[in-house]
Amino acid sequence: MNFLLEPLQYPFFVRGLVGVSLVAGLCGVIGVYVVLRGLSYIGDAMAHAVFPGIVGAFLLKTNTLFGGLLAAILTSFGIGFVTQRSGLKQDSAIGIIFVGMFALGVVLLSSVKTYAVDLSRILTGDPLGISSADIWLTLGLGVVVGLVLLAFNKELLLVAFDPTEARVIGLPVNRLNNLLLVLIALTVVLAIQMVGTILVVSLLVTSASSARLLTARVSTMMMLGAAIGVVSGVLGLYASYHLSIPPGATVVLTNTFFFLLVLLLRRRGDPARV
Amino acid sequence: MPQTLPTTKRFPKDHSHQLLNVTDLVVSYGETPALTGVNFHLCPKEFVAIIGPNGAGKSTLLKAILGLTKSSSGKIEFSSELGANPTQAISYVPQQQSLDWSFPVTVRDVVMMGRIGRMGWLKYPNGNDRHVVELALKKTGVSDLSNRPIAALSGGQKQRVLLARMLARESKLLFLDEPLTGVDSKTQDSIFEILEAERASGKALLMVTHDLEAARTWCSHLMLINRVVIAAGKPDVVYTAKNIEATFSSGY
Repeated sequence: MNFLLEPLQYPFFVRGLVGVSLVAGLCGVIGVYVVLRGLSYIGDAMAHAVFPGIVGAFLLKTNTLFGGLLAAILTSFGIGFVTQRSGLKQDSAIGIIFVGMFALGVVLLSSVKTYAVDLSRILTGDPLGISSADIWLTLGLGVVVGLVLLAFNKELLLVAFDPTEARVIGLPVNRLNNLLLVLIALTVVLAIQMVGTILVVSLLVTSASSARLLTARVSTMMMLGAAIGVVSGVLGLYASYHLSIPPGATVVLTNTFFFLLVLLLRRRGDPARV
Repeated sequence: MPQTLPTTKRFPKDHSHQLLNVTDLVVSYGETPALTGVNFHLCPKEFVAIIGPNGAGKSTLLKAILGLTKSSSGKIEFSSELGANPTQAISYVPQQQSLDWSFPVTVRDVVMMGRIGRMGWLKYPNGNDRHVVELALKKTGVSDLSNRPIAALSGGQKQRVLLARMLARESKLLFLDEPLTGVDSKTQDSIFEILEAERASGKALLMVTHDLEAARTWCSHLMLINRVVIAAGKPDVVYTAKNIEATFSSGY
């Protein structure tokens, strides 16, 4: 019992617990779309591309969430601009923009004296370092993302399953795709605080993938994805406290462990599954 | 060469109540015309089969009418009873293999997707939506599969589910792209029975197929195409050795 209660006397641990639960739960839900649409590459790109925004905000001593969001929006426009003007395929445009933005972030950060420490914080996350203001902002944005998803769920699902039918019945397919990208970008920016740039894609993809192995219904998949995200977030944070290992990476490892467990334990050859 | 054949054959009579009227339609992919000189109209209680070899432009014709593919010239007119956005009032059954059947939804979920256009934004299914969906499931004989994940269906069952979604749209105009692929002959007959019931109830159907025999048996009109319309009309008029030869053994 002490094992569970002892860390709770530290406010930073409680804040980390709340923050990680919120973000991991949200990632589990939005991750369902990332997995079903095959967007994990875009999620990863987004995570790298918001890096200079976070660093810039850090240097200007403003909120890193806003910096990240600004960079995410610029990146989305940048990818669209490069794709249209160059005629290159979208994955090339994404590759060019996301690595370029990431490099810009590294250069910006190198101007800071505590370069190495801050770099590793941003790369692998710092859930125990978040402020109560960050928690409220995370909660607010998380609720917005959740409500938008709830409002447009049936349209987003139809676009994912049968985009032609969506066009036939007159849905604005391009706008819905952009909406989904914005929601993914918001989630990524929130998640970077917790697990850092490099590990975000795991949170976005792993919980939802575990859920996919357990169910053949989208609604159940979203609930399971959120639940798996929250449980691995909480367990990971406790493990990190007691074993004195990096919290962001431990959360991701716990999540990965859950996935492997589900993968090994599931019945093979069930046609209802992937 | 097919170009020498008449390209302006129209279905006979009854201009009074056309749901769809296509005049001199041309569809091109880049410089290459995929389809030229298509003229026909479609009335309630007509079941038209578009027949031709691969690459003849069959699916292209459906997609051009739906506005999914741009036509280069010609006119596509709809009856005012289809409303302000007529293409959105067409129920379209895509080729089965064009969909991702590993998608984690149940049979009922897919059929309910047919109601999205009618529900509108920010709405959830109401009692009527659920009633229409159950009826569609029943008519197509998949009620007992309704909670099953679509990944667990056979080819024939998948086709029935797509038909059920089509019925749930409650459209007057039904477009079907190769609804007989991956289907055994028993299922094929029951699919045609479902479609015939729709026709008899006043719907108009346009079906792409390469199954000439089945189309001849079940459809009210045939349209033989191979980049141009080779012949169109009632089956006993169109189904001649000369027309079939011209459709399937052209120089393309």
